[in-house]
Amino acid sequence: MLFNFVEHKWWYFLVSGLIIVPGTIFLLLGGLKPGIEFRGGTLLDARFTSAPASAEVKDIFAALGHDEALIQLAEGERVQIRTAALSIDETTKAEAVLKERYASNFLDMQTSSVSPSFSAEIVRNAIWSIILASGLIVLLIAFAFRSFGWGAFRYGFAAILATLHDALLVLGLFAILGYFFNVEIDSLFVTAVLTVIGFSVHDTIVVFDRIRENLRLNPGEPLNPVINFSIMQTMVRSIITSVTVIFTLLALYSFGGYTIRNFALALLIGIISGTYSSIFNAAQIVSLWQEVEDRIRGRGSRPQKGATPA
Amino acid sequence: MSRLWPWIVGLIAVLAIWVDIPKHGVSSFPFNCPGICFRLPGSATGFSQEIKTHLGLDLQGGTQLVLQLRPDRLPSAPTIPLFELNTQARGVIDRRINALGVSEPVIQAIGDDKILLELPGVSDLAQAQEIATRQAFLEIKVPSAEKPGEFKSLVPPLTGANLKPTSVGFTGANQNQPVVNFEFGAPDDQRWIQLSKDFVGQPVQITLDTREISAPRIQQVFTSGGGIIEGGFTTQSAKELSLLLNSGALPVPLEIIQSTRVEPTLGQDSVRKSLIAGAIGLALVALFMVSYYRLPGAIAVIALLYYTVLTYAIFRLIPVTLTLAGIAGFILSIGMATDANVLTFERLKEELRAGRSLRAALDEGRTRAFSSIAYSNFATILSATILFFFGTGAVKGFALTLGIGVVVSFFTAVVVTQMLLHGALSIPAFRKRSLYGVEEREVQRAREPRPTPVRA
Repeated sequence: MLFNFVEHKWWYFLVSGLIIVPGTIFLLLGGLKPGIEFRGGTLLDARFTSAPASAEVKDIFAALGHDEALIQLAEGERVQIRTAALSIDETTKAEAVLKERYASNFLDMQTSSVSPSFSAEIVRNAIWSIILASGLIVLLIAFAFRSFGWGAFRYGFAAILATLHDALLVLGLFAILGYFFNVEIDSLFVTAVLTVIGFSVHDTIVVFDRIRENLRLNPGEPLNPVINFSIMQTMVRSIITSVTVIFTLLALYSFGGYTIRNFALALLIGIISGTYSSIFNAAQIVSLWQEVEDRIRGRGSRPQKGATPA
Repeated sequence: MSRLWPWIVGLIAVLAIWVDIPKHGVSSFPFNCPGICFRLPGSATGFSQEIKTHLGLDLQGGTQLVLQLRPDRLPSAPTIPLFELNTQARGVIDRRINALGVSEPVIQAIGDDKILLELPGVSDLAQAQEIATRQAFLEIKVPSAEKPGEFKSLVPPLTGANLKPTSVGFTGANQNQPVVNFEFGAPDDQRWIQLSKDFVGQPVQITLDTREISAPRIQQVFTSGGGIIEGGFTTQSAKELSLLLNSGALPVPLEIIQSTRVEPTLGQDSVRKSLIAGAIGLALVALFMVSYYRLPGAIAVIALLYYTVLTYAIFRLIPVTLTLAGIAGFILSIGMATDANVLTFERLKEELRAGRSLRAALDEGRTRAFSSIAYSNFATILSATILFFFGTGAVKGFALTLGIGVVVSFFTAVVVTQMLLHGALSIPAFRKRSLYGVEEREVQRAREPRPTPVRA
């Protein structure tokens, strides 16, 4: 009657592999496109009554001495122009030229410019925040499972793997989007990834917390049935929590406007993945660890002894 | 204490709603004070704090600049530390902005070597650049003895450092030629008089940021430290120069390393869209919670509304500047706020299925869910804190609203939801198990022995 979450673990690992591999391939192909915030440069986002052909805009910028300008049409009759970092004088000039050329067809223009030196610093900060956040989360996991003694390590290891799974999936998705649609990543994207990491760890901790409780209440019980039962108990909560978050994110994605659409998408995918990994991956890794350990000790794979809390 | 909670929760709700009520654009809001005002009777001193929603640049439109201090571009190494230069530079920029009447500008140091400048409502990038980077370094140069026709600096240079406030005046036959009146303060006034004695009959050069603005001939020996700058000004350009001189020279060259301009129309559009997204998100969550958890679900929705009202009030009080990313964090925290309720309700259901009475199940559910809620909230607060300290701009806003949201949700889940659940139990009609999503037969089944581990 009970669904067996542990026995079919290789199938769940396979599913994870299948959804991660394509993204990872595009990650390795350099699909992740850094936005101007990370590489320096200028992004001009011009709004028109009716957007002109991109070749036309390309010519205008070539005439201004910016052959490197990348022109992209975007939703809402917008034209996005990416160039090397422009000074304010150059930006003002480009705007004047567009105004003159398109008259009332040209509505307005957002501008955003980052110097290469500053972008290097932003990248450094982003990397530091990822390292620091990961480090603290490892400490948090260690703290949460301190009563497991040395057995805590496998839980921490499993939680980190499950979290990496989610981060990798989001990174992979944006590598694919970057590769095919030139979707760029910015600090908001890094924020989304860090939020996903936090959410995923929290989801996993809830499952592990239950495993710990059940191990304490049923000393001597084999590990796998305890894991299975704990997942059963926490699954509804995991899914419902995710569903409520997914509802709010879907609302953000659909109605929040294009400026935060990618941000909402990254969170959406990450949180769905986080829910999957906390139900189908995290505890299964602990189980696998135990089985491997038992096999090495020559005790065969069954019955396994659960890590007994201190 | 438990008897006090309903009063505390109620009082907080009333205060939060009062804070949330729009106080601007409403004529004669009580006592003509848009916020908290406190005045000692018969005294001019008092305390007043305006309450309003602060919108970030991306929501109201305007220009943002990040400026890098470049002491390496000074002619000689600065004698004061970098943070001191930063403070002085911010002071100068602040005076320039004040004179222009930009409302609610932001001038912040980012570390010692950078300045963040936000000018809401300013969409002219060139003007923003002028305010932020114009050095306004005034220097009077004298004819060079070695190279006729050229000018050289005095030793030490005679600069605008000790100028008194300047003003715009008019000269010419019809009194219609705008000029800038200036006057040196001590000790430069004596040097100015001395200079007129040394170079009477010769031209001196007045330069701003090393460019000549005029080179008047000294007609007679001065008796005071005053003078005029003529430079073929229009009234406007004379005013601008006067303003620049009055706000002082930047102590260090500034370089714009990041600039962003958002059109106000896009900002308003974003506000509207995110409000719609927030409302729809909230409605979806409410619908889902009620249909899944029934009575506790309805209670969770009340707690969620309480949460929204309270969080918004905190944003207005602190105040937190709301950006698009900040609103996203807020909306996301609505989803996360329900998590604490879900954890509690699932535990409640479990305890009910295990055959406990409603009240016992409630207390047990709370105790057991608490550690999970505490850990998970702690994890989110941790990442929000890191994002806040390491992030800039949008990331900071997101981290702040998410962090505040999680802290408030902890309060509403642990205190408000529990209180409402206990309140519901005191009403006999609300004591049916089916209202809590558990059928009687499920309870029976749970009482039978199980093949799997059951807690003792």
